[in-house]
Amino acid sequence: MATTTRNKVSPFLDPGPRTKANSLAILQLSRDNLLPVYLQPPTGEHDGYAEGAVVNTRYGSFPHSTMLNVPWGSQIRASKVDTGSRGRKRKRESGVDACREATGAGEKDDGKDNEDSAATAVNGESAPAVKQAVADTSGFIHILPPTPELWTTSLPHRTQVVYTPDYSYILHRIRARPGSVLIEAGAGSGSFTHASVRAVYNGYPTEGQRKGKVYSFEFHEQRYHKMKKELSDHGLDGLVQLTHRDVYSGGFLVDGKSPEADAVFLDLPAPWEALPNLSRRKPQTSLDTGDAAAENEQTEWVSPLNPKKSVYLCTFSPCIEQVTRTVSVMRRLGWVDIDMVEIANRKLHTSRERVGLNLNFDRGVNNSPRDVEEALARLEEIESRFREHAAKPRDGDEDMDSADEGDMQSSAKQSIATHGNPGPSADEGSSGTAPWMEGRLITRGEPEIKTHTSYLVFAVLPMEWSEGDEAAAAAKYPVGKEQKVIGAVDKAARKQERREQLQKQQGNSRKARRKERDEKLGEASG
Amino acid sequence: MQSVIRPNAWVALKLPSGSTKVLQIAPNTTISLGKYGSFPANLIIGRPYHLTFELQDKLPDENFSRLRIVPTSELYAEVFAEETAPECATPATGANDTVISATDGEEFSLVDEKGNVVARSNREIIDDNARQTLTQEEIEELKREGNNAGKDVIAKLLLSHTALDQKTSFSLAKYKLLKTKKYIRRFQVLPIDVANFAQWQLEERDASKIMDMRAEMIGLVGCWGNVHYGGDDVLLEDPKAAVAQGEEACVPVDEGLLRGRWLVVDDTCGLLVAAMAERMGVLYDNEDAETEGKTEEQNKDTEEQTAATPEETHRANVNETQPGKATQEGGDIEMTDVQNAPTKPQAEKKPKQQKPRPSDFAIPYSQTNTITVIHGASQPNLSLLNYWGFDITSPNHPPHPLHNHLLTLTWLQLLKPELDASYSTPPLTASPETLASWKPSRRGNFHRKRRRYARIRHIVDSTRAGNFSGLVCASTMDPISILRHTLPLLAGGAPVAIYSPSVEALAAVADCFSVPRRTAWVSGNVPEIEGLSTEELERWPGNERFPLNPTLLHGVSIQTSRARRWQVLPGRTHPLMTERGGADGYVFTAWRAKPAEGKIAAKGKFKRRKVESEAATPASA
Repeated sequence: MATTTRNKVSPFLDPGPRTKANSLAILQLSRDNLLPVYLQPPTGEHDGYAEGAVVNTRYGSFPHSTMLNVPWGSQIRASKVDTGSRGRKRKRESGVDACREATGAGEKDDGKDNEDSAATAVNGESAPAVKQAVADTSGFIHILPPTPELWTTSLPHRTQVVYTPDYSYILHRIRARPGSVLIEAGAGSGSFTHASVRAVYNGYPTEGQRKGKVYSFEFHEQRYHKMKKELSDHGLDGLVQLTHRDVYSGGFLVDGKSPEADAVFLDLPAPWEALPNLSRRKPQTSLDTGDAAAENEQTEWVSPLNPKKSVYLCTFSPCIEQVTRTVSVMRRLGWVDIDMVEIANRKLHTSRERVGLNLNFDRGVNNSPRDVEEALARLEEIESRFREHAAKPRDGDEDMDSADEGDMQSSAKQSIATHGNPGPSADEGSSGTAPWMEGRLITRGEPEIKTHTSYLVFAVLPMEWSEGDEAAAAAKYPVGKEQKVIGAVDKAARKQERREQLQKQQGNSRKARRKERDEKLGEASG
Repeated sequence: MQSVIRPNAWVALKLPSGSTKVLQIAPNTTISLGKYGSFPANLIIGRPYHLTFELQDKLPDENFSRLRIVPTSELYAEVFAEETAPECATPATGANDTVISATDGEEFSLVDEKGNVVARSNREIIDDNARQTLTQEEIEELKREGNNAGKDVIAKLLLSHTALDQKTSFSLAKYKLLKTKKYIRRFQVLPIDVANFAQWQLEERDASKIMDMRAEMIGLVGCWGNVHYGGDDVLLEDPKAAVAQGEEACVPVDEGLLRGRWLVVDDTCGLLVAAMAERMGVLYDNEDAETEGKTEEQNKDTEEQTAATPEETHRANVNETQPGKATQEGGDIEMTDVQNAPTKPQAEKKPKQQKPRPSDFAIPYSQTNTITVIHGASQPNLSLLNYWGFDITSPNHPPHPLHNHLLTLTWLQLLKPELDASYSTPPLTASPETLASWKPSRRGNFHRKRRRYARIRHIVDSTRAGNFSGLVCASTMDPISILRHTLPLLAGGAPVAIYSPSVEALAAVADCFSVPRRTAWVSGNVPEIEGLSTEELERWPGNERFPLNPTLLHGVSIQTSRARRWQVLPGRTHPLMTERGGADGYVFTAWRAKPAEGKIAAKGKFKRRKVESEAATPASA
């Protein structure tokens, strides 16, 4: 527990160089098979395992002790773990087993280190003996630091998940950047929450500081509690504020205060019912959903949006009917730049396509002619064999049969002799191409693709601009002193300008021009 | 990002035709929008982004057009009209229990309450373009009069179309939209951020310059590269090196401090760097609140100094806004001038603002949250960063967050630093007396060279120390060769994201990590790697059979993404008919692995063939 309080920064945001106890790690079993695990320090027998907590997979058993304090990305060998007898609760003598030497040199030392550190960590109790893990002969996994991408593919599903192709595009379009404040409604399984926290993170907030933050809302109570626990396990407590609320009627204020959001993501079944709560001013009473909320707050209506910025919005709806209703309400509420897209993502697999008559008979090899020449050669060969056979004198029926057989056999032998050559030589690896370099490199789509996730509707709500603001701006930047024309200038004017510029610069050194440019840059940024 | 349009900001002006104009809004200029007219720039400076402005008719006593903010109710007026129209019609028909049928032979006809046909089906339409009775001259005449922001022209055009009553509602809407695009005098101002800029560069400028990188790809590369804010700035302490001290006074690289650093290979002229900088929070200059106050102060200052010559005023301002300027190279000549000439009035005026200058060997770069760009030419091509006020070639740069967070080095400096003159030549030294006897320009050069030496040394040493948090790449170079030299620099578990406009190069990389190749590598039957240490295997130089060490990456995957855009209108929702084609764009993703030492085999999948291929059991992960 001491570890979790010490390293405050979430492992999603800064995992550090090595794996740590009581922290999330993602075990990659195979490419698309990921398993999130909270690594536990070895504190004696756990769930019947002498090695402490153990992860059992089809690729072997992996005691947590072998995965602690190793560099991220490490390949972890499976260990020999007694999975069969633990149910019977037989007392085992840990000492005897521990004597057996581990074959894997790499993690033997690590394991020892962990044991030592664990022993010191649990100083109060008498340190229970933890069985030293013994490396298995085969099986391995990789251990990865958690990222939103890995979490998205491995998280426990509670609802439909917003996958990486969608959320990467959404976060780019709604301008979620370090320092932004984001509202997310419909936290769901939390994949978007994790991705958006990473996008807006610019340090944990201290008192009175405005830092990047995600205000998340979840309507479903059970999901809310699960999510709450997950967030604090992941060290995201100061960065995500999760609220259990129905945003259709309850709105988006947190403790009566405005989150002052710069961007909004709505993953709700009826976004149009939540939209009136995301206005700059009190929504019109004609929208019946707003009524209840308006009655509750007799006092001033507070907008949850940042009053000083354009607010970007994205809604995520699977059906086209939802989209048309949402867009219609958006138009009435003053959102502009309404844009609807859907994302089609495809994963590609690469492989070697091996076609040819004289390849070996491995799996995945197509033993048909590689090209016309090869087909022709084989046909010619067969044809010549027939001709040879036909040219032979016919003595008698018996003779013919025997001769035919012998001929066929010999020619078959011949063909094997000529064609079978490249196979064994490739296996040797000394001459010819290596087997993994044979054939043509191809890419093909994965067997099943997600053809539709959801429609994404993007919109922008500009900052409110009153007549007073306009008057102030007009006074600050008075018109009437225009000197030159920029933009779409016709050719003659552009030439004239260039001529004047050149005249001015004639005689000036390159340095002066550079200085001028710097000054211009300074003005632009200042 | 800024909330209002600031003077001298780069903005995108979106015109009704759908095209975009990217301009730097200089105050006191006239912005011309071509056929849509022109207006004074000061009318949009200080106003919010994303509003739609309309050019109004010139007032009789003014020689410029004023602007009007178009309310959204007006922007969407037609959609609203369409939405309400059928709603009114349906209850009426419902009450009479009549069913709309297509039996009358006019499918999709629209009939108003009185029974007049508003729009017909397309059966009777004569395909003839010459139905417009207005001649080109007449249209030009109307445009010159330029009444009511072009709305009059559009109305007249519609009225004088002879077959307007024969159009279906669909074709009528289309016709009106076409004419509106052409004649309405409206525009919208968008901020130049990475998303807007990339779209403009892709669709209207030179897509090849940014390697056809679509928004989907920018998002994917950033996410799979796990690019994010890498921690608060950590600056190395100034070693306070005296001018007589050489390289021994340089600050050594402290590997413990290096965190949240990303390695980039960028052939998109800086778009990729900009996208990453945006994700790391180092692209945009200062927060709004600060600058508001600052500019006001600055204005006040300028007013106070009206007595001074304009040039001096400007210089004083520059000094004031650029406290960190002295750390940059080349700033010396002017700076030393100022310092050594106390007789000059402005030096007396602002004695407080002359901060003690850091020594030559002070490292201006943060140790965290940095982008390290490796480039093939002797100078990095990051020209597009100019749009965000950062010019990599400028030696005397005003403060910009990229300054302390963008490190650039060449492949030569990374791989063979001893051959690079600026890295291997020891720094100049001089005693303070000699230095004082020199001319200011020579002294400036002396300091500039020493500073450059310290900087390059820091960049090269810290990059070679490795432990990067990720590699992001969009390059025209062969990705295999890039990976060969960058993989050893990545920390364990660090993600790799490589963008390529076409799939072939990425497929070749993925093939380097194919299961058979990796299996062969770990089987222990590869003569060329026998006896190599882990360190040597990490820096595997590659051969024909194994271009890369196939165990250094895992989770290798290639993907592509495409956004399909839709039009959403009442009753007319469908995907757009045409979109930009060209390169699809692909992203290769993987994680840096730390392979276990020695022979390793996957759990037996192929037990039946154990005898013959024990060594070559395919690895499954």
